Amino acid sequence: MVNYGGDEVSALVVDIGASSVRTGYAGDDCPKAIIPTSYGYHPAPPDADVTMGDGVENIDPVNKSKFANIYIGQSGPSIWREGMEVGNPVVEGLIQDFNPIKPLIDHALDKIMRVHSSEHPILVTEPTWNTPANRERMAEIMFEEFNVPAFYIANTGVLNAFAAGKGSALVIDVGQSMASVTPVVDGFVLRKGLSHSPLPKLIHAHARHILISPTPHRRGIELLPHQLIANKTLVDAGAPPKFTIRQDRIAGTTESWRIWAETREVDEWVQSVAGVLDQGWNDTVAAQRTTRQYEFPTGYNNYFGIERFQVGEQLFTHSPQLVASNPNLPKTIPQLITEALRACDPELRQVLMGNVVLTGGGTLFSGFADRLTAELTRSFPHTKIHAPGNPVERRYGGWLGGSILASLGTFHQLWISKEEWQEHGKPIVGQRCIH
Amino acid sequence: MNVSAADIRSVFNVPDAAVAGPSQIKKPTTTVRKPEGMPRELYALIGPSTPALSAQLAKPRLKQKPNFGGIAPRTKWHVSILLSQYFVISYSSDRELRTFKNPARKGDLELRHWEKAGTDSAADYPFAKYDVQPNSYQYSLDEYTRLLEDRDWTKEETDYLLSVVKEYDSRWYIVHDRYNFPGGPERTLEDLKDRYCSVCRKLIRNRPWAGDDASKTLLISSYQFDKEREVTRKKYLKSLEDRTPDQIAEEEALYVEVKRLEQNERRFKRDRENLLRTLAGIDSGLPDIVEDDPLPLAILEGSKTKTKKTKGVAEAESPATPAATPAPTVKKPIKSAAYDAQHCIIRTETPSAAIATKAAHQPAYLRSFKLPAPKAAIAPKVTQALAELGISHTRLVMPTRENALLLDSLIEATTTLVETKRAYDKAEYEIQVLKNRLGVREKSQPAEGTEGKVEGSAGMGVDDVQVGKEAEETEGEDGRAQSILSARSGGRSRKHARRSMSISSVDTVSTRANNKRQKRN
Repeated sequence: MVNYGGDEVSALVVDIGASSVRTGYAGDDCPKAIIPTSYGYHPAPPDADVTMGDGVENIDPVNKSKFANIYIGQSGPSIWREGMEVGNPVVEGLIQDFNPIKPLIDHALDKIMRVHSSEHPILVTEPTWNTPANRERMAEIMFEEFNVPAFYIANTGVLNAFAAGKGSALVIDVGQSMASVTPVVDGFVLRKGLSHSPLPKLIHAHARHILISPTPHRRGIELLPHQLIANKTLVDAGAPPKFTIRQDRIAGTTESWRIWAETREVDEWVQSVAGVLDQGWNDTVAAQRTTRQYEFPTGYNNYFGIERFQVGEQLFTHSPQLVASNPNLPKTIPQLITEALRACDPELRQVLMGNVVLTGGGTLFSGFADRLTAELTRSFPHTKIHAPGNPVERRYGGWLGGSILASLGTFHQLWISKEEWQEHGKPIVGQRCIH
Repeated sequence: MNVSAADIRSVFNVPDAAVAGPSQIKKPTTTVRKPEGMPRELYALIGPSTPALSAQLAKPRLKQKPNFGGIAPRTKWHVSILLSQYFVISYSSDRELRTFKNPARKGDLELRHWEKAGTDSAADYPFAKYDVQPNSYQYSLDEYTRLLEDRDWTKEETDYLLSVVKEYDSRWYIVHDRYNFPGGPERTLEDLKDRYCSVCRKLIRNRPWAGDDASKTLLISSYQFDKEREVTRKKYLKSLEDRTPDQIAEEEALYVEVKRLEQNERRFKRDRENLLRTLAGIDSGLPDIVEDDPLPLAILEGSKTKTKKTKGVAEAESPATPAATPAPTVKKPIKSAAYDAQHCIIRTETPSAAIATKAAHQPAYLRSFKLPAPKAAIAPKVTQALAELGISHTRLVMPTRENALLLDSLIEATTTLVETKRAYDKAEYEIQVLKNRLGVREKSQPAEGTEGKVEGSAGMGVDDVQVGKEAEETEGEDGRAQSILSARSGGRSRKHARRSMSISSVDTVSTRANNKRQKRN
């Protein structure tokens, strides 16, 4: 495949995000294994025996201190287990807790893809605001625990630009916990131009608030997950739900699992109904849009109209009363873009605005791209937005870019080999991965 | 259908197909094959007469799939690697998994990829050649102190700058983004670039050079950097971007307004020119109107030069008009008087006021159009007097300047003659009248002395009447001509009619009629 500059060395690409861990072979067009980043665990009692149950991962001595059992994958946190806590190692896009990282990657590579990590070079992604200590720790895990022959850590901003086939781009990435705008020039991130904010968190909180608080038309909605519901009967839209709770499980449900489950309910609702008005907020237009029906696990169902768009609107503007009550709101997408562009050279702005790349699951709100186009064309008439219509490409753009990069013939000189790691130690990561 | 056509032929007794039109070509025999890619049903419907369509319907030609020896498609390699961990798989393919070393790397990392079995395994890694190291400059401490001292830069910072530029391969935006010299002042991109380029220039200039001078200057010029200009340019870009929407809207409105004005002006000019041409004839050699107020906007620069250009073109195109042309373009230095004489060029003074308004403008004209004419009141008499001599003053066979002048003096003389005659006649007539009165009075007391005189004057009187009749006739003729003229020219003055090309033909018609009549006389 020399014509395309590709040379496959059967490298693996590992992309760890707040909502999911994606792994797969470099050169493929989508990840082979996608598992939730959240994991369930039973905390290890100070000096208790480790019990091996169903779906339990092998636990190495390092993690023994913290987890008695750890449950990962599609049947990880989503299966109710008595006393199971739920954790997520990623906070604001950064890995804060490295304990579950090894089991997570292990699960994806070993249990799902069934590969030996020691036989494949591995490319890992990192957000632009990653700390040097974090990436060195990641390299350490890869070399010491996974025993990889070669390793590289690449920036998600750059990878998203590559996935869109661009060397220079303004990457707008809205993930599960962070929204970021990254200017990429010639395959390098302009670090001074990076701007990010935990905007999706606010949107989530807002959606949750909309759901649980009663309105004149309906009462507050109970966000009970289906795991806690024994049975339910069909009710009319807006009618109070009729269901039975599994009382036997209530006592054994931990707080962290309940939060995780409720968060999931809210997210599902947002993903199913929420949208963005494509021409800016307008009460009458929002009221005119068609409503959408949604049924919660309790059996409660209703048609949602204006609320759908109130959620999405938070991405672009904050309501004045919200601003008044909370001065430290996360920046909206237009604010992030403005900030990113202000830090860039005036000459670059037009180039960047001509190559806007939308990525991340948070940009999949219906009407998001149209609204962004409308907002941006006001100040930059020549804006061109690249937004893949394929949701897989949109959600896993970072992984896809990594897949492209790691299968290029010219890339193979950049791998940090095990030998180099042993020779130079941690500093080699900072020297080699300079994007 | 074929059958029905044959039926019609037989009904109308038309002989069979031999001479039939092209629409009745014999149905192609069954040997014509259905084009490939066309469905049978479609072919049955449209028949074989669709060559263009069949070309479109032909199977699209896809890029040839790479041949991997007919065994393992690429995507299965992973599977095979996967399986090879658990089973021993023997590949009968002509590809094999080989380890390779990348010469662009320093260590001895060995990666594995699939290669054609027959190829040379010791061959260089094909992608290593893309690892091109940029040309970078190093300097010794001595060189630095001699050449590169700068008030704003320390040697350490310069070292750092060079290392960063090398690291990021002279991608200046990135260099500026990553540049972070501890303790150093804040540097702009232009500062960095300026320093780097000046260092490189100085090093190249002061080091011994192996090649020729041209390549050296070329290399130096590649490191040329005008900081001031870059800063101004960036400032300008920034100011362009910082315009408020109002300003942009205003700017756009102004631009549109300017364009509109420009267009209006052009239209006006065109209209005016057309009008003048209509009035003054096609070869008027009009100079363009001088814009009395050059527009202040720079945007107009283009259009202004354009008008200038058209002006120049007009000048160039203005025909080599006869001397009478008052066009300001034919001004020649005085020394060409001899030249003029030699080439029979006669110049008239142009009106000193060069402003070409409609009133003052005198276009180029043919001399024959401006032949001197007698005063309208006495024109018939003059014409008649000249006709008696066999001269037609309206037609000059060779209207040279001298001839025109001669004609002019002739007409002048004739006019004087006619006027003198008229004065004389008047006086004569008065005398007659007075004499008659005297005669009436002398009926009572007759006087003989004046009789002869009266007789002579009576003879003259008859003559006079005759002349008058003639004149009347001429007048009538001329009057008719006039009326035609006025009818055709839509009430234009005679003078204008003369100047206008289209009307002049009518004029000549009328004069010709005159002439005919005169000849008849």
